[in-house]
Amino acid sequence: MILTILQRLGHMLFVLFGISVLVFLIFFATPGANPAARIAGRGASPATLAAVTHQYGLDRPLPVQYGLMMKQLFITQDLTSFVNLGEPVVPELIEAAPVTLSLVFGAAVIWVVFAILVGVLAAAFRNSWIDRILMVISLIGISMPVFWVGAVANLVTQGAYHDTWLFSWVPALGYVPFHVSPFGWFKALIIPWVTLAILYIGLYGRVLRGNLIEAMQEDYIRTARAKGLGPVRILLVHALRTSLISFVTLFGLDFGVLVGGGALLTEVVFGLQGVGELTFQALENLDLPMIMATVMYASFFVVVSNAVVDILYAFVDPRVRQS
Amino acid sequence: MSANPSPGFWSVALRKLRRDRAAMTALLVLALIILLTALAPVYAADIARNDPFQSNLSGSIMLHGKSVEILAPADNPLHLGIEPIGPTWQLGPYMFGADDQGRDVAARLLYGGRNTLLISAAAAVICLVLAAITGIIAGYFGGWTDRIISGLLDALWAFPIFLLAISLSVVLIAHGLTIGPITLNADSLALPIMIIGIIYVPYVARPIRGQVISLRESEFILAARSIGAPAWRILALDILPNIITTLIVFAPLVIALNMLTEAALSFLSIGVQPPHASWGTIIQDGESLIYTRPLVAIAPGIAVVITVLALNIFGDGLRDALDPRAKLRVDQ
Amino acid sequence: MKRILARALFAFASASLLAGQAAAAPPQSGGTLRLVVSSAAGTFDPQVNYTVEYAEMFQMMYDGLVAFRKAGGTDGFDIVPDLSTNVPTPTDGGLTYVFHLRPGIKFSNGQTVTLNDVVSSFRRLFKVNSPNAGTWYNVIVGGDACLNKPDTCTLPGIVTDPATNSIIFHLVHPDSEFLDQMAFPFAVILPADTPNHDMGTTYIPGTGAYTVKTYDPNKGLSLIRNPYFKLWSADAQPTGYPDRVEYRFGITPESQVTAVENGQYDWMFDTIPTDRLNEIALKYTKQVHLNPLEAVWYAPFNINIPPFNNLDARLAVEYAVNLQDSVKLYGGNALATPTCQILPPGIPGYVLYCPFTKNPGAKWSAPDWPKAMAYMKASGMAGQHVTIVTQSPSPYAQIGVDLQSTLNKLGFKADVKPISPNIQFTYIQNTNNNVQMSVTTWYQDYPAPSDFLNVLYGCASFNKGSDNSINISGFCDKAVDAQMQAAMLTTLTDPAKADAMWTTIDHQMTDRALAVNLFNPRKADFVSARLHHFVFSGEYQFLPQLASVR
Repeated sequence: MILTILQRLGHMLFVLFGISVLVFLIFFATPGANPAARIAGRGASPATLAAVTHQYGLDRPLPVQYGLMMKQLFITQDLTSFVNLGEPVVPELIEAAPVTLSLVFGAAVIWVVFAILVGVLAAAFRNSWIDRILMVISLIGISMPVFWVGAVANLVTQGAYHDTWLFSWVPALGYVPFHVSPFGWFKALIIPWVTLAILYIGLYGRVLRGNLIEAMQEDYIRTARAKGLGPVRILLVHALRTSLISFVTLFGLDFGVLVGGGALLTEVVFGLQGVGELTFQALENLDLPMIMATVMYASFFVVVSNAVVDILYAFVDPRVRQS
Repeated sequence: MSANPSPGFWSVALRKLRRDRAAMTALLVLALIILLTALAPVYAADIARNDPFQSNLSGSIMLHGKSVEILAPADNPLHLGIEPIGPTWQLGPYMFGADDQGRDVAARLLYGGRNTLLISAAAAVICLVLAAITGIIAGYFGGWTDRIISGLLDALWAFPIFLLAISLSVVLIAHGLTIGPITLNADSLALPIMIIGIIYVPYVARPIRGQVISLRESEFILAARSIGAPAWRILALDILPNIITTLIVFAPLVIALNMLTEAALSFLSIGVQPPHASWGTIIQDGESLIYTRPLVAIAPGIAVVITVLALNIFGDGLRDALDPRAKLRVDQ
Repeated sequence: MKRILARALFAFASASLLAGQAAAAPPQSGGTLRLVVSSAAGTFDPQVNYTVEYAEMFQMMYDGLVAFRKAGGTDGFDIVPDLSTNVPTPTDGGLTYVFHLRPGIKFSNGQTVTLNDVVSSFRRLFKVNSPNAGTWYNVIVGGDACLNKPDTCTLPGIVTDPATNSIIFHLVHPDSEFLDQMAFPFAVILPADTPNHDMGTTYIPGTGAYTVKTYDPNKGLSLIRNPYFKLWSADAQPTGYPDRVEYRFGITPESQVTAVENGQYDWMFDTIPTDRLNEIALKYTKQVHLNPLEAVWYAPFNINIPPFNNLDARLAVEYAVNLQDSVKLYGGNALATPTCQILPPGIPGYVLYCPFTKNPGAKWSAPDWPKAMAYMKASGMAGQHVTIVTQSPSPYAQIGVDLQSTLNKLGFKADVKPISPNIQFTYIQNTNNNVQMSVTTWYQDYPAPSDFLNVLYGCASFNKGSDNSINISGFCDKAVDAQMQAAMLTTLTDPAKADAMWTTIDHQMTDRALAVNLFNPRKADFVSARLHHFVFSGEYQFLPQLASVR
């Protein structure tokens, strides 16, 4: 088992290394991306441009530049932005993390509660009109581009109907830290939470329904039924408990991606300055140090959640462990 | 799981699918959408009567017997801003109004649908082929081959695809990109197809790899190996047919995912290049008009929702018909 | 100074635009002014940062020996004494300037400004690779040596005389724009012990009325009154009305509009999104301020590669483009005026001129398609492929698509490529990228004709294969360069004659069709209901310290 985990760890490092090299190479292969001219300023003379290039070490061989950047990012942690010169990237990332965590946690609570509700109801009333309606709504939720939902939500709550009693409580876009005002935090995040959660409610609701229906046909449920346990109790206690294993697995994967900045579009649409927004800004500005930091951060969560899920599978399914 | 699907397998599945009313309705909706987008040139020429790829900033049309400017100065004391003509809600020019270039939104929706459907479908083909190849090789050969391929797939899954897209789109402006026999240049749809085509490879390849690992240990493969059948023969005759159903089940879902991805890429102005359109680019055009002419952004969004919904419902039906126990999920 | 003529022309325009607000109550001190912008603007080092966003802040935090007058309209272009008690008249044939340091001024850290601070600030310009060290300040004797070897920079061209508390600048050649450059934020005076590297996010003490409380490029800037500040010249560095200035970063322009409407912020930096213009002009008419900008939006041709190395091909496009289209895309006639020429209004030497229109003369009226098609035929370039490179944000991409439509109508095979704004500006400059046509803008540094004609079309700005080659057309004509040098020299002795020379150069270069000049923009500022006394300087745009929020 330890060997498996060690192997997995090596695999993770290999993946992270590969991603960082790729990001680095792609950046320098893009014409116009070299930051020297942008740092030097419009209309700078060739001498100034050369001096800036030298000052930022951009005239060094790429492997050396790569090594230095990795050292500054992971060891000394004093890597600074190419755009907002002097802005250290690691603290910025640390400051953006609570915003993303707030968004993702809140959305996760909503989607877990509603997905369980949808899944259990649909399974309990399998093939009835309740089931059909819930499944169609879930599918619609899955079928909407998230940034489009966000834009329409903004249009309704900030624009056309902002002055009506229904939405006059909606604050201006942006994040309010919890310690500043818990209620303000809640008001600022409730619409982004719902927007982000819609997709996952649909997704998880459908998965849970399928698993519950499958579980209901297992032997131990039949046994429980034979023992005379009530149908509600069987569904909620026995079937739900086993079905939650794959639910939790899915949740782990998605949560990892979102915490790493996967909610980029939601953050951008709602002006939340989290990790996703930071990634977006870094890409828009072509700010290599910031891109590198955010990409490493995001990849870390993706790779770790993948690894955790794979290791869990190895426990469950011996065939995977052997291979 | 059985060896090869039995001869009657496909006809049983087809019969099952035909009896699924929801799936058949979805298929009908999809066919209707494809038909409508195919008629885009007819609509542009005979109903909208203007060129949806030519900006029309200084034109005007006759509406209710009056001449109306397509882009008119806004009516306010400071004369700030310009407003494109709003929806006329009648079958004719500017049924859904004009975008900020004075082009007919309805006509662009139809043309945009063509590109969106083409990109999503072509990217799905690329995705499924690549996923099948990598999944089968990784799963069947195992060991270091598996480790390296899995590593690459993990890296791809975690990679910031937007960075790749931005970079490629800049590189392609000046020099076309040649990969083997394929030459990409910036104005073709090949760039979004390629990028979207590889995004979901890990997502499909992983379950296929798992399936192949289970198959490899199954009795009929072990038997084939023990009598010394060559690897290519086992892959082609025993493994692939079992994978095919998985691929077919995945197909509509991947197309649906691709459509959502296309819209998201257009959010960053990567993808279909102007003046051409896709539903994603029309949403993006509409962003800058959302307060004055919200329909420009809302209409393509609804088109995406309807199409993706139909694909998902059809995909469900297909899965139930082919492989009732498969657990597939849609993700963004 | 030389800009009397321009001011006379323009005073009327800005006066009429500001008339609606003139009757407001007198400004009062106190309160917090709340500003908002979508993102930070790079380094916070005033000798390196080259953005309007931060220059607006630096002008109330720092002083140079001279300064642009802190006043509205074209008065804001006047150069007034600041840390120097005089604005020197050059002697020695334009080679020597003598400044007298004002005694007793203190930095925000309590230190007194000394002659040594002045000299080291100018050396520091070279040591931190200030953007224009090699284009503006190397006119000081020893400047070129400093450019090549910044570490050992001594700048012998600056001599101090402690007896008279004066600083003498020796130039390599006469420079009519030296004082403008001395008033620009790059040339502010910093403490001599400021480290000789780009200070990034760290605040450097200054002499201005306000000092930094906190600064974080991902959050915002907080300014408070400088405790060591004592008013010496309201023209150069006024005390200011608000007690605090809070500048918040990271709100999208759409949300900025909403927030200013709701009174959550007092002013927004970013351009108002076009779909919100009507709404604010209708509901908040009195809170909108329209002011001219000395700027041009233009679409440069690359005149060194096909098809636009052919003059007829360029002329065909010039006659065919409908300038009113771009104006519409920018927000209409209240926000932009079509232009055919390189110089924008408000710059000395500007005389209305438009050869590329239906009825050639002063003003653009409509495209002339017969003429355009005739030139197109003569050029033999029909069927040639053209790629127009624009930025992706609105309205750049839209202007690109409109140009593409025009080019296609002429018979070219045109494509438009919108790319990230951060790449586009350097990408279109580098000749290696073979960009045929692009859409870009140029905003003045200070109101001098050379800032447009010489900077954008002079040989010195054309660097082959470099990302920094602001002469995007790649135009280099030794005869025109000589004319521009002559005009710059004449400015020192006979400004009126120099203006006439610039007029001729502007018109001649316009005739050569180096770019499709599109329009001169105007700035629409949207302020909160409680903000009074909005002052818009020609040089720095909004002057926050003169606004009153009481």
